[in-house]
Amino acid sequence: MQTVGRTRTHFLIRAWTAFVVLAIYLPIACGALAGLSKGRYFAFPVKILSGEWWGKTWDSLEIQVLVQNSVLIALIVTVLSVLFAFFGALAFARYPWKGRRAFQRLLLLPIFFPQPVLGLALLLWFNALGISPTWKTAVVAHLVWIVPVVTLVIAIQVFSFDPVLEEAASDLGASRLFTLRTVTLPILWPGIWSGALFAFLLSWGNFPLSLYTAGADSTIPKWLYSKMVAGYTPMVPALGTMSTLTAAALLLGGGLIRFLIRRRAELRAREG
Amino acid sequence: MSSVAASPVSDSPASLKTPRPVLQLVDVRKVFDGFAAVDGISLDIEEGEFVTIVGPSGSGKTTLLRMLAGLESPSDGYITLRGELINDVPSNRRPTCLVFQSLALFPHMTVGDNIEFPLRVRKMAPEERRKRALELMAKVRLPEDYYSKNVMLCSGGEKQRVALARAFAYDPDVLFFDEPLSALDYKLKKLLEKELKDLHRESGKTFVYITHSLEEAMVMSDRIGVMRAGKVVQIGTPEQIYSTPADRFVAEFFGEVNIVPIRRAEGGWVRKDGKPVAVAPGVSVDGDEASVVIRPEYMRFVTDGAGAENTLSGSIFNEYSLGSRLQYQVRSRTGRTFLVEVPRAAAWKGDGEVTIGWDAVNAIVVGG
Repeated sequence: MQTVGRTRTHFLIRAWTAFVVLAIYLPIACGALAGLSKGRYFAFPVKILSGEWWGKTWDSLEIQVLVQNSVLIALIVTVLSVLFAFFGALAFARYPWKGRRAFQRLLLLPIFFPQPVLGLALLLWFNALGISPTWKTAVVAHLVWIVPVVTLVIAIQVFSFDPVLEEAASDLGASRLFTLRTVTLPILWPGIWSGALFAFLLSWGNFPLSLYTAGADSTIPKWLYSKMVAGYTPMVPALGTMSTLTAAALLLGGGLIRFLIRRRAELRAREG
Repeated sequence: MSSVAASPVSDSPASLKTPRPVLQLVDVRKVFDGFAAVDGISLDIEEGEFVTIVGPSGSGKTTLLRMLAGLESPSDGYITLRGELINDVPSNRRPTCLVFQSLALFPHMTVGDNIEFPLRVRKMAPEERRKRALELMAKVRLPEDYYSKNVMLCSGGEKQRVALARAFAYDPDVLFFDEPLSALDYKLKKLLEKELKDLHRESGKTFVYITHSLEEAMVMSDRIGVMRAGKVVQIGTPEQIYSTPADRFVAEFFGEVNIVPIRRAEGGWVRKDGKPVAVAPGVSVDGDEASVVIRPEYMRFVTDGAGAENTLSGSIFNEYSLGSRLQYQVRSRTGRTFLVEVPRAAAWKGDGEVTIGWDAVNAIVVGG
């Protein structure tokens, strides 16, 4: 009876997983196919396959600038947001002080604020200050939305951190800096790593904030949108697919590096 | 802040005569939000002593230990280490080390890295560190191949040993222990108690241990201090505390006892029912209310052949086996429960209605 039940459960789990994977990846696969179409227009089924639009996308100077902008913004946002979020997360998840609960809720608010409204508000604010919007103002706009997200991601790790470990390190003679370097940071590292990944991907894919605050500078999502609205070419799905593949490669690469580091540590431990 | 010169030890003439205590507490207090967790403790701890502070949870013993380790600074009073005021010396600049209740082992490090941590702080060369770590592992009986084992994969007892080795690697003058054995099973606890005692003897270091377990305190300590509500109510050798508890709280804390409330009357003491009570000569208790404390092994069944100076009657309602001894629960006429413990050979053969009693020499009279 139990085995029958278990078999059925297993079947349902598999069926559900297959459905979810299909639902997520089928549209992406369609997009990828559209980018490989020889025709100028978005139409299914794709009649003749060709790498023509991929080649054009790859060679396009305009797209090179877009990718540079997007990467630059995402990298700066990643570094800054991890920096802010790390100390912010420590502040409310590690130390007890009056108002930490309120701070935590206040921090959550921008996440629920509709991004187009936030983007417009920031644009008006930049105008009021006399700052003309460029990719730099987009960085600021991204930070407003992404720092809270990253703070929450890192805070999850900080909440599971036992502060007694810092006391123990101090009791064994370590200075605050030595403790941070050898105890706190290594233990919080997985959270910081996830936070950085979140920051990069959220900035990389952000459209509404960039639309309002990047001014004349364009980013990949901005360009994709404008081309969808007017002047479609199969470069749109081609670039979309490339961007997805790059993100996947980054994730896989990161995973591989972590795996190799862990393995090296294990090997060293076994030899030692 | 007070300077070192203001230390009460340096100008105290008493410290010239007696060997200077390694740790001295003078009227130490710690107040959290108006609540005094430690409420005026004065205590001298001698070089090489094993002192255990016992008390129920919330009695302030952990706060006391945290102040000694430098993780908390006293609100009032002085703490001196070898005559130097250390009230505000941070924990990383004190020659003391605390073994935490949770052990606080670094989970991302191997056993070896954990033990070498204090040596790394001191910038000792890696080969030297490793050599020292292996020596310490041998000392606490950890197999050599554990050196590169992930510390989180160790068993409870092994973690215990790692924490101990790490504390010894720091080479402190005084070691503090915050109930490190409380999470272990009975058999392992007994073994580690013995090993800890051996380590204390071999190293000659001063140990200050806190626990809520009387048994642990009795086995290991040179002296025991009993804490209650932020104060030390009694301090002495295990024998002194056991045989002459300062008050009813200490008596009850130290295991199962029978308590008979008494009051002062003309020409002696009487029980609540007015019956006179024989007490040992030389009882000095303030006030008119007191308690007679009789340990279960001194309470016995009164028969025609064997009387007792004080008696009361009741009925047996429970019988337990403690291995070589038997324990009876006897309910008196007034509804109080008394414990009688006898060797197995002297098991009670009669019916449930019994008379029990004790002799004055075997009872302790305490105030309150």
